[in-house]
Amino acid sequence: MAADLSAPTDGLQGEAISPFGMPLAQGDPTLRWSSQATTIPGIEHELARFWALPQARRAVDGPAERTIAARTSVLNLVVVARSPELGQRSASMISMLTGRHPSRTLILVPSDPDGPGWLRAQVRAYCMVPRADAPATCAEQIYATAGGATGRHLGAIVAPLLVHDLPVTLWWPGEPPFGTALARDLIGMADRLAVDGSSWAGDGLDRLRALAALGAGGLAVSDFALMRQARWREAVASVFDRPEFLPYLRSVRRVAVTYGTHGGPDAETRTNIVKPIYHVAWLASRLRLRVVRPLERTGRPGPARGPAAGAGSEPGRGMRALLEWDRGTDVEIVIRPVISGMPAGTTLRVEILSERRGTELRAEVTAESESVHVRVWEDGVEALERTFAAPRRTDVDLLAEAIEASGRDLVARGASSMAAALAGAVAPTAPGAASATGRS
Amino acid sequence: MTDDAPAPPAAGLDKPATTGVREVAGTAKAPARPGRAADDVPRTARELRLARAGKRRPAPKAAANPLREGLRLERVPDPATFVLFGATGDLAHRKVVPALFQLWRTNLLPHEFAILGIGRRPYTDEAFRAELRASLDQFSRVLPIETAVWEEFARRICYQRGNFNEPSQYDQLAARLDDLDRERGTAGNRLYYLATQPSAFAEIIAQLGRVGLDHEQHGGGWRRIVIEKPFGRDLNSAIRLNREVGKVFRESQVYRIDHYLGKETVRNILVFRFGNGIFEPIWHRRYVDHVQITVAESIGVENRGSFYEEAGASRDFLQNHLMQLLSLVAMEPPATFDAEALRDEKVKVLRAIEPMSPDMVAANVVRGQYGPGWVTAEQAGGYRGEPEVDPESETETYVAARLLVDDWRWAGVPFYLRAGKRLPKRATEIAIQFKQVPHALFKDSSADPDANLLALRIQPDEGILLRFAAKVPGLGVDVRAVNMDFTYGSAFSVDSPDAYETLILDALLGDASLFTRADEVEKAWAIVDPIIDAWANGPAPAFPNYAAGSWGPAASDELLERDGRRWRRI
Repeated sequence: MAADLSAPTDGLQGEAISPFGMPLAQGDPTLRWSSQATTIPGIEHELARFWALPQARRAVDGPAERTIAARTSVLNLVVVARSPELGQRSASMISMLTGRHPSRTLILVPSDPDGPGWLRAQVRAYCMVPRADAPATCAEQIYATAGGATGRHLGAIVAPLLVHDLPVTLWWPGEPPFGTALARDLIGMADRLAVDGSSWAGDGLDRLRALAALGAGGLAVSDFALMRQARWREAVASVFDRPEFLPYLRSVRRVAVTYGTHGGPDAETRTNIVKPIYHVAWLASRLRLRVVRPLERTGRPGPARGPAAGAGSEPGRGMRALLEWDRGTDVEIVIRPVISGMPAGTTLRVEILSERRGTELRAEVTAESESVHVRVWEDGVEALERTFAAPRRTDVDLLAEAIEASGRDLVARGASSMAAALAGAVAPTAPGAASATGRS
Repeated sequence: MTDDAPAPPAAGLDKPATTGVREVAGTAKAPARPGRAADDVPRTARELRLARAGKRRPAPKAAANPLREGLRLERVPDPATFVLFGATGDLAHRKVVPALFQLWRTNLLPHEFAILGIGRRPYTDEAFRAELRASLDQFSRVLPIETAVWEEFARRICYQRGNFNEPSQYDQLAARLDDLDRERGTAGNRLYYLATQPSAFAEIIAQLGRVGLDHEQHGGGWRRIVIEKPFGRDLNSAIRLNREVGKVFRESQVYRIDHYLGKETVRNILVFRFGNGIFEPIWHRRYVDHVQITVAESIGVENRGSFYEEAGASRDFLQNHLMQLLSLVAMEPPATFDAEALRDEKVKVLRAIEPMSPDMVAANVVRGQYGPGWVTAEQAGGYRGEPEVDPESETETYVAARLLVDDWRWAGVPFYLRAGKRLPKRATEIAIQFKQVPHALFKDSSADPDANLLALRIQPDEGILLRFAAKVPGLGVDVRAVNMDFTYGSAFSVDSPDAYETLILDALLGDASLFTRADEVEKAWAIVDPIIDAWANGPAPAFPNYAAGSWGPAASDELLERDGRRWRRI
């Protein structure tokens, strides 16, 4: 289906790839239009040509009334891909969402920054028939490669191509260059920023702080790393759905998250720990805990080997933080690595320890690819064991959820703010949550 | 042990929901320790005073789990046994079991879940499962059926043969349910689903009460009952049935289904009205000329001739679907979105509709019965020629009514309701017809612009249409009505849950918002009963009076023409 989008193209040609007279396969996005342009007016012209096709309009409803050919797009989706490969992968994912989220998508691929400015764009339309008796739904996709000065000013491509009055979601796969003029420019146009914190280089803490600052500034943020953990959160919450365990939630004393690393030199600083931190941050923000001492590396060695040991020599030493309840009781946070064959930074276990009136409750949550497992002990006696069917979610699912989200998710914002505070930032107070930082 | 590492993109979109979390195995290993609850200390001045006086403080409200906030699914239902009466019937096979299977495959049912089918036919568990499997192949909205998912689901299905009138069957049922609780860990929670003939409702409920299957146990074990429409066949029978139900179950245990309320677009009426700031201020007699509600079906009575002979369009549509839609359109904003607040407001609407005298019925209600004709390019016979229908039948297959909601918001605004079979197309729609502009400014236009119209399409092609006037391009000032048309399929995932999925999940979760309350049912009957009585006491109707494939009898058009209006062309 996909052509080689990175290949240079010349001329201004447009063609209806799949004639409208031919029936579309139900439920499958089909490429219906493809043409090229090298200027913004050229792109606008090609879009107008597609929508001017008489078959792209709804049927005329009787002689007395006329139905406007309305494009019911729900948003502008802007993607910044640092390489043609990433751009094509993003385009492929987005085309799968055509029926769910008809949008105008701009995929921007900056190229060689030197030399005179140039722009090459492929204008495409994907259509699908959601049901046999429903009209076709079409979504536009503009794949723009820009070089020279044009590639350094991507905002100047985006601004004129946004559909009026529709929200703008900016999806920045890979490493968003927070703080640069390019990022400020594009983020300034967006209502929502979608990123994947687990894909960032290093431990990810710097970008975590920058992301929280953007959220505090009013931008809605969807971090796939946090969204992927929804199944863990459901499982953790289920423990305290039980009336007999709920009182323990106000008496949490310790939270420990174990994650996988591959070992080797600088394993700790090279391993992205955004996901383990998000587990703690979500729990801490929901319980309105405050950060007394942010995460810092511990002096003593970490545990020797995890169950999948053998990939390296030394897992690192782990990190600790201290939080506190509003009544002043401490909560110890431990984020510890073990050698594992899993991708580095993968959460392996979340443990919550509570003590209440001389009784101890320990909950442990682990996950497989298709399920999450919960075990609870009360004073060492196993009190509950549950397994939830909860498949790991794909990037397409996460992108769809990020697109579906409207408004700001205060729970996500609270978790992001708390994650930044754990990472050492002074976070502002999130609405509905206590200040993330406390005594110093 | 793995976690949430990025997974490869999905090959397709038609797959089990990935956001759902279903409990697939679980065991409470040890009983919770007894002890004082965390909040078991006096906090308010009154509690302190009562404590000092040696009196018990009132039971504290159940505390909320703060970790639940923001999670997509509020919770997976408790372990439970789903007791399906009428398990071999059409409704069970076409709707209930496919809905349960869809909930299962999308991880929305608990692991400790059992389905106990009860019917008259002599099936074994295996034979019953095989029949359900065949039905799923025909009626499941997601095909093909995944074998592994079905096998897990099928393990939870069992069958008990039983005559609903035989008391000893219920003693066996009680023992079987206790066995299931022990074997399947269903914790004593039971949802009784009555998918039987309505005539069996009272007997089943009484027998359940006789053997104590209604009793909710302390510390767990809820009991709920879902009752299908029609709930009674007139006001007296509805009151009697409510009384019989009330002898056994508390109102909070009773879930009366009108599946229209589970439809995504019907639920959206509330969001559309109360989630948008621009419509509610004009949702008012000052701006609205009238409201039309249409429930049109192109099919006939199919193989339900004997049922329809007893019901007719007034009982099959007017008393339930049309009244529900009217209530949702006309209700005041509820204070909260909980079940009682919603239903309180709906009942207020029904209270504001004055029951009609026979003269009012003659002037404001039209009935019809289809004769032979052509529907959707096929020849169709008349109603009196349908199987199991009396050749001299006086049952109405079409009803249209002009109702007034006498309250502050709607006084003087007529609500025109119509429903019928063998109409030209299948369509359910609510149209809010606004008033004309007060001053005709564009007198030179070749045609007067139509007044604004807002149409909420319930089915098919769900969506919202707003009609407004626009200038025709050109040198003159020619005004023409144009439509701004929003279709759901073009803006959202079209994989909306079936109404039965929504309603069954709500019943398992204990949310009664989308179910009708006893007083609601009775109020609706109080409106429809005088109409049926007037017809029964009046002369025989001149049936058939509309051809299959037409929009109903001429008298229906005259009903609006007398008011200077016409039915909207659908």
